Amino acid sequence: MPFTAKPIIGGDAFDQACKIGLEVDGELAQLADAADQAACLRRHWDAITALGWITTAIAEDSGGAGGDLSDLAALVGGAGRGGLPLPVVASCGVLPYLLADQPPLLSALAEGRFRIALIPAEAARDDEADALRLTDGRLTGAAVGIETPPDPTHALIVVGDALMLIATDAPGVAITRYQRIDGRPSADWRFTAGAGETLACGGEVTRRAAEARDVGALLTCIESVSAAGALLEQTIDYLLNRVQFGVPLATHQALRHRVAEMYVEYENLRGLVTHALRSTAAGAPDAWRDIAFAKLRLGEAGRFIAQSTIQCHGGMGMTEGLQAIRLARRIMMAEFEYGDRSFHAQRLIATAA
Amino acid sequence: MVDYDAFREEVRDFAMTRCPPEIRAVVATYRKLSRKIWYPWQKILFEHGWGAPGWPKQYGGTGWDLKQRHIFDEVMAECDCPPQYHHGLRHLGPVIIEYGSEEQKQRFLPGILNGKDWWCQGYSEPNAGSDLASLRTAARREGDDYVVEGQKTWTSHAQEADWMYTLVRTSKEAKKQQGISLLLIPLSSPGITIRPIRTIDGWHHVNEVFLDNVRVPVANRVGEEGQGWTYGKFLLERERLGGANVAPAMRNLERTRALLAEELAAPRHAQKRSLLEERLLLAEAELRGAQALGQEAIAATMEGRSLGLLPSVLKLSTSVTYQHVGEIALDAVGERLAPRFRPTDASGANAEAPGIEWVQNYMYGRVRTIYGGSSEVQKNVIAKQLFGS
Repeated sequence: MPFTAKPIIGGDAFDQACKIGLEVDGELAQLADAADQAACLRRHWDAITALGWITTAIAEDSGGAGGDLSDLAALVGGAGRGGLPLPVVASCGVLPYLLADQPPLLSALAEGRFRIALIPAEAARDDEADALRLTDGRLTGAAVGIETPPDPTHALIVVGDALMLIATDAPGVAITRYQRIDGRPSADWRFTAGAGETLACGGEVTRRAAEARDVGALLTCIESVSAAGALLEQTIDYLLNRVQFGVPLATHQALRHRVAEMYVEYENLRGLVTHALRSTAAGAPDAWRDIAFAKLRLGEAGRFIAQSTIQCHGGMGMTEGLQAIRLARRIMMAEFEYGDRSFHAQRLIATAA
Repeated sequence: MVDYDAFREEVRDFAMTRCPPEIRAVVATYRKLSRKIWYPWQKILFEHGWGAPGWPKQYGGTGWDLKQRHIFDEVMAECDCPPQYHHGLRHLGPVIIEYGSEEQKQRFLPGILNGKDWWCQGYSEPNAGSDLASLRTAARREGDDYVVEGQKTWTSHAQEADWMYTLVRTSKEAKKQQGISLLLIPLSSPGITIRPIRTIDGWHHVNEVFLDNVRVPVANRVGEEGQGWTYGKFLLERERLGGANVAPAMRNLERTRALLAEELAAPRHAQKRSLLEERLLLAEAELRGAQALGQEAIAATMEGRSLGLLPSVLKLSTSVTYQHVGEIALDAVGERLAPRFRPTDASGANAEAPGIEWVQNYMYGRVRTIYGGSSEVQKNVIAKQLFGS
């Protein structure tokens, strides 16, 4: 029996998320028109919101399901395997963490009335002069490449030591929406004295924003490990079935060894991410280091697995036609979310000295 | 229920107070471990009742569970204590306990336990490396003796050992794994010649051992005639968890980090230092991945679950990372020390060039992806399982 990947955290939530992911990915692949694709993503977003995904880790007394990190891990793992191009990590994990003491906003998020995009403190910008800043409660600056839910209604912004909510249609907010390379809805934002609501201010915001980023990094790693497992399966399947020169590609030692190397990288990453999940769930004081190492490794191992998948698929590896290749692209994007490898390397080096 | 935290503390306290500083210094500075370093340490462990962590209590072992043994190995590495000399304790001892006669147990186990007998392994031959079952050293029966004729190679420590446990061919069966037997041969036997092999790292680890009509009493055969391959496999099975102990590699990485800080302290090296530190961090991430898998392997074994491909993955991951770390250390000192590296005599370190061990380590490190199942063999094993054939 060829290889089958085992989820880090399995269960019903994993299976459901995976099934929906495959459905959406399959539907999207049939649509050529960007507007049709956006409509498809919106429909599915509303559906998973109705299924209660966003409530997963919201406390019960705030109307949530009161789940923990492992419930989130099951959900994002399934979504990762299915290749669901929607912001599950951000909306189900990171935003509820940041908004934990804002029950009305949590309800609006969970019920789907607010579709909130997260703009982190270190959001990318094209021009240094566009760094986000608050002047007399007004927001100025730009943020690019921000993952959003479909048709975002708001942005939640960490700016300086303030946490700010601003409506997409508020005065002074300009948004350019597009679909990212991994199929996810995204946007570039520009604020010109944008009027938002400052939710909180001070060191507590900075601290919680950093923790939320680490939760995001951890969940993104779990999502990517799951996608990497699917990549291995699909690459093995392709090599077993693709016949050239009268023999399956899987008979060639060069390709078999490449797949063995993918597996070693996959296992190593899986081990590290599983360990980080465990230490974070246990509240270990050094858990952030485990997450940083995992994210650093994702940059290395994830890229190797994605590249090897493309290479092993030959010319087909350069097309968008195969799910494996779409997943490979997703893993490439995941590297840059919640701190890229250089970011996490820097913070580890800064504390190693 | 064992209190593992308390156990860890007990081991650490023992290691720090009872392992002589001069022995720990040998490990910390990568000098060659030899019988004259190992023996006193084994004696200390033996007298404390910790001579054989992996053996059952009735044979003088500790009776520790797997996790305790793992903690012991980890703490030993963290404290720069030498890993115990493995040929008797980890390889031959368990085979004698499982398959040896009562007389053999009484005769051989005590010397392994107290460190008075030194063993080496006669497995590989010039034409039987990864393909060990092709071995040709032959033993023919003459009365109560076997007469052994042939050649072994890569025999580590033969130059300082008393005995060699040796796989020999006792009959020529159709299947080459059959017809192999395990003999215990005193190295003082007439007809044995030991010749050192010069290796690229300049140290004397390994030898060629020539056996020219060496007489070995039949009583020195372990188990059945023709079943040697089974015993060899039993030994390897027991070693499958060896890769789970990532602690020595982690300790090596920490020492390398300290080396970068010291070697590249001058302001003119700031950029070089940060380049190397980044590479070291990537290696650390990889090693932490292996460490997590090692914990999984131990948990799986304790719960009676199959290890699957974990041993191969651990071997591949850890060996390559070890080499990466060795390269980083070499890059730190190479300009200054690589030109001064040259083979030394049996006394060990190249004393006139302090730090030369980093160059030696790099050279020695190449073997990690070759011995114990080369990387290519491991990849074949993994691929076979992944592809289902």
